[in-house]
Amino acid sequence: MKIIEIEDLSHRFSDGTIGLDSINLTIREGEFVVVGGQNGSGKTTLLRHLNGLLLPSAGIVRLAGIPVFKDLPRARQMVGMVFQDTDSQIVGETVYDEVAFGPENLCLKPNDIKRRVSGALKLVGLTHLANQRPNVLSGGEKRRLVIAGILAMEPRILAFDEPFSNLDYPGTIQVLKQILTLHRGGQTILIAVHNLQEVIAFADRLVLMKKGKVLRNGNPYELIEELEGFGIREPCPIRLEMEIQSWLS
Amino acid sequence: MAELTVFGFKPGKSVIHRLDVRFKLIFLIVISLASLKASGMSLFLLTLVLVAVLSHAGLSLKPVMRALGYVFVLLFFIFVARALSTPGDPFIEFKFVSVSREGIQQGALVCWRFFIVVMIGLCFVSTTRPAEIKAATEWFLNPIPFIPEKRVATMMSLIMRFIPVILNQARETADAQRARGVENRKNPVYRLKKLGIPLMRRTFETAEKIAVAMEARCYSENRSDPELSANKRDWLALFMVICLCVFILVM
Repeated sequence: MKIIEIEDLSHRFSDGTIGLDSINLTIREGEFVVVGGQNGSGKTTLLRHLNGLLLPSAGIVRLAGIPVFKDLPRARQMVGMVFQDTDSQIVGETVYDEVAFGPENLCLKPNDIKRRVSGALKLVGLTHLANQRPNVLSGGEKRRLVIAGILAMEPRILAFDEPFSNLDYPGTIQVLKQILTLHRGGQTILIAVHNLQEVIAFADRLVLMKKGKVLRNGNPYELIEELEGFGIREPCPIRLEMEIQSWLS
Repeated sequence: MAELTVFGFKPGKSVIHRLDVRFKLIFLIVISLASLKASGMSLFLLTLVLVAVLSHAGLSLKPVMRALGYVFVLLFFIFVARALSTPGDPFIEFKFVSVSREGIQQGALVCWRFFIVVMIGLCFVSTTRPAEIKAATEWFLNPIPFIPEKRVATMMSLIMRFIPVILNQARETADAQRARGVENRKNPVYRLKKLGIPLMRRTFETAEKIAVAMEARCYSENRSDPELSANKRDWLALFMVICLCVFILVM
């Protein structure tokens, strides 16, 4: 089933610069799609059109057949978005409150909120930190907390914007494992990155962007040799003429 | 951030933790006001009660006292100011400076009262979830016309959440400037400008990011808030607090 359909999507910022230029893209439910490109290529702008944080200058984005602009709250509930800067995404004073923020916004009953929060915290393994303040968590824990905050809204699509930036090796492993677990659970995953090293082994599809355009869209292994033309470093094993291996092995 | 961590919620199962937050807020106000009129003897009694409550709530006194270091500095200045400015029987006289017996007495009393107010606040903050404080603020503001209570409550909780973030940013910016020798510039206005402007810019940028992130999670003023419910225990506590306050005032 097609869960995201993007047709002729263009976005022009208020100062006249072009953010996106005639993008056509379809994503099926349960797919793991990586959007690659250098800084300023339009990855974040594209992700922000999925839940209507930005609205198109031309074209349309449909989620499970319904245009985003027709029902913004539905789009925001359906597409859970994890931003690059975790510190400015966490609004709760405690870990529990942070995860409850989304369900509270959906006007759920207290019992449902409690159920969703404990479910989401369990899923990311942060139950024992429920009463802690977010600023004492490590980088990896903070990013998992943000993921829990999104999961508590029960989205169908998870969009990650540079999920590994500013993370150390253990933090990266934690977040990567989390994303893969969610994908195995049937979630549609969309990841925007400028470094493919961590995720390429798991991607079903690679979309390469440059100057607001989608220039390549296909099997990651077939596109690997073109990466450097898009300002993305080739993963180490390819440089060493080896096969790509999972970052977790 | 050690100086801030003491003023944070500490989970627990004590009676104080389980009291309705609206009652706790009333207790905070009533006891603080009563302590302003209290004599030495009743302050002593109040201190005993507070120490008992704090230890019942699972807060150990030692780290609390250590964290309140800055408060003691402030209290010291208040004490000195009172001691020097109150006329009466001279206790110590040195040239034209005289410290009166009444001044020392008054200073000690004022400091003690102030300290008690801080301790009551600490007791409240460490036994109440921030989300509950937010809900209570909303509840109390609800009957007041022309005040958007939900917006005020959200702003309050965001301020509480972001003070540590802003302090961290300030420290980072100050460190980065020290690393480039800002200490060689003696002009405080220049240094304040160089620290303040980038800090303000970063704070506004962060605020913008928070707004977008909140929007992405369907934030609106129409949302479910924690339920507040009062039971017999809360009314009993209210009765006890009123008795305590009357006792403090007549003693």
